Amino acid sequence: MKEVTQKMREIAKELLEKNEVEYVVGWEKGTFWYQSPPCFVRRAEEVERLVWDEFCINNLAKYLLDFKHLEGKIALFVKGCDSRGIIRLLQDNQIRRDRVVLVGIPCKGMKDVTEAAKLEEEKPEKLPLAAKCQECRYPNPLVYDYLIGEEVVATAGQEDRFSDVAELEAMSPDERYEYWVGHYDRCIRCFACRNVCPACNCRECCFDLAEPRWLGKRVVRSENQFFAITRAMHVAGRCTECGECERVCPMNIPIMKLNKKIIKDINELFGPYDAGVDLEDKPPLGKYNPDDPDQFM
Amino acid sequence: MKTIKKAKIAELLDKIAAEQTIFAPVAVEGVTRFARWGQHKGDLYLEGNSLLPPKDLLFPQTEKMYSYHVKGMTAAVDEVATTAEPQIIFGIRPCDVKSLEMLDDVFLTKGYVDEFYKSRRDNTLLVALGCRKPEPTCFCTSWGIDPAQAPGADVNAFDLGEELGFEARTEAGQKFLDAYTQFFSEASSSAPKAEECTLKVDPEGITEKLQKMFEYSLWDELYHKCLGCGICTYVCPTCHCFDIQSENRGDQGFKFRCWDSCMFSEYTRMAGGHNPRPSKKERLRNRFLHKLQYFPERYNKFACVGCGRCLSKCPVNMDITRLIDRVKEVKLDE
Repeated sequence: MKEVTQKMREIAKELLEKNEVEYVVGWEKGTFWYQSPPCFVRRAEEVERLVWDEFCINNLAKYLLDFKHLEGKIALFVKGCDSRGIIRLLQDNQIRRDRVVLVGIPCKGMKDVTEAAKLEEEKPEKLPLAAKCQECRYPNPLVYDYLIGEEVVATAGQEDRFSDVAELEAMSPDERYEYWVGHYDRCIRCFACRNVCPACNCRECCFDLAEPRWLGKRVVRSENQFFAITRAMHVAGRCTECGECERVCPMNIPIMKLNKKIIKDINELFGPYDAGVDLEDKPPLGKYNPDDPDQFM
Repeated sequence: MKTIKKAKIAELLDKIAAEQTIFAPVAVEGVTRFARWGQHKGDLYLEGNSLLPPKDLLFPQTEKMYSYHVKGMTAAVDEVATTAEPQIIFGIRPCDVKSLEMLDDVFLTKGYVDEFYKSRRDNTLLVALGCRKPEPTCFCTSWGIDPAQAPGADVNAFDLGEELGFEARTEAGQKFLDAYTQFFSEASSSAPKAEECTLKVDPEGITEKLQKMFEYSLWDELYHKCLGCGICTYVCPTCHCFDIQSENRGDQGFKFRCWDSCMFSEYTRMAGGHNPRPSKKERLRNRFLHKLQYFPERYNKFACVGCGRCLSKCPVNMDITRLIDRVKEVKLDE
């Protein structure tokens, strides 16, 4: 990890010194040893802030939307999952490939921060993988200009990928309803799930509109349901399974289970598809195909 | 001091819940929050502070204010009663008790009394539980709060190991203890002291410094990583901004208020679409200035109690203690 950190700093330093980029977006150490939040480096003398360790869990892809109007270029470090977010943004024409410099880092999975906070000592090796990393199938960056570190072999199996979805599907409609309202009744509508999501890239989100006000501001079951279902359907076919929504949710709502149910349905209807993997392969719900299994046409 | 075995607490709460409305911290689906005892799910959680403060018991996230209807050419307002039912909040921590001072300032002073809040506040009995060992994210001692003592509560409970000890602080608190005297033993224990917080910050002079830093470059460096979500404001015990909206259907409707967050794009958006805080930079600055400058200017106290919730829940580790440290490091050229 030290070598990767060293290499990150070297590349960042060079890019900034040569004025090739205006910003380098990476991770730095936070308040506690188990935190490596995003950081934005503008000057070559600040590159020492950058780190690579078991806690660089934040997906940085979404930040590119904040720099759409930047005149210069921006450099970003990307893990496998982050790179899928980049491909998504490229497919949606949200960013231009020639405006970003991508530094890929193969990732062995990040560690569980909640468990880390309970440890009294600094022992990352004692920690389990973060939930969102346990089923990672793309640990290596899929798009990059530079690559640091050794490629990682994906260990997660494809076979039980949808095991929690199968549990949901085994429920009766009433049980499933109870299950989801039980979880979404907790939602406080902080919008962290939306704000962190690289698939959520609308210029103006329907949940923020005051006129017409699609989403009422009361935090009650009906509005929470509308929020949950609308968001899930909106990212259908575009969710890259980075798991950030569920990680940031302060109310512990199993958001990825909902996303995975929809991914499974799409796979069954339109054939296997992984969002943000192939730049040329458009999302199933975003392309026209005369053979689509749509019965009413 | 009156004491009760920890194993007996649930029984005590059951007894109280049979007679009165009582809220206590419980853990449900990995979330710790105050829930109405007797109608709650999950287990009593007394090990640390709850993820959500009990703020919503005095200032609900969504609160109906009044309803109205239209009939022909006339309209009528059907007032909503503002008289709250008596309630007990059991297990509220000293930082959260302290935060009620700030809410009281906002809702009860400076010439306007918010009847919704007042009615709930007047009808609430606080049974606080002092902390023995603050969590790593706690920094209440930096704001002059003693983690073991809750001066604003009616009853102060203490963790004595196997038992909880109770001391009344008000007449209402004494009446509460007397009413359930059969559950308690009399012991000569004295209030245990709490360990000092490991996280520290020195807010001395921060307001005066920030008064000169509205346009300072620090804000440009800080805001980039902010996601602009509302977690920090919604888990904060002192954040109190709200919006007023209405829901209409046919010839009737109602007004309600709901929590708002200065992190959101709609907050402070004017009629016509102008927004004086157009980006995350202005919003983030507003949040910190509200806590550390505007609130102290208006009420002579900071709007932070060091509960550490924003610190532990912010997905990008936006840390108010580090912000204060950085502001203090800044050398203003004057």
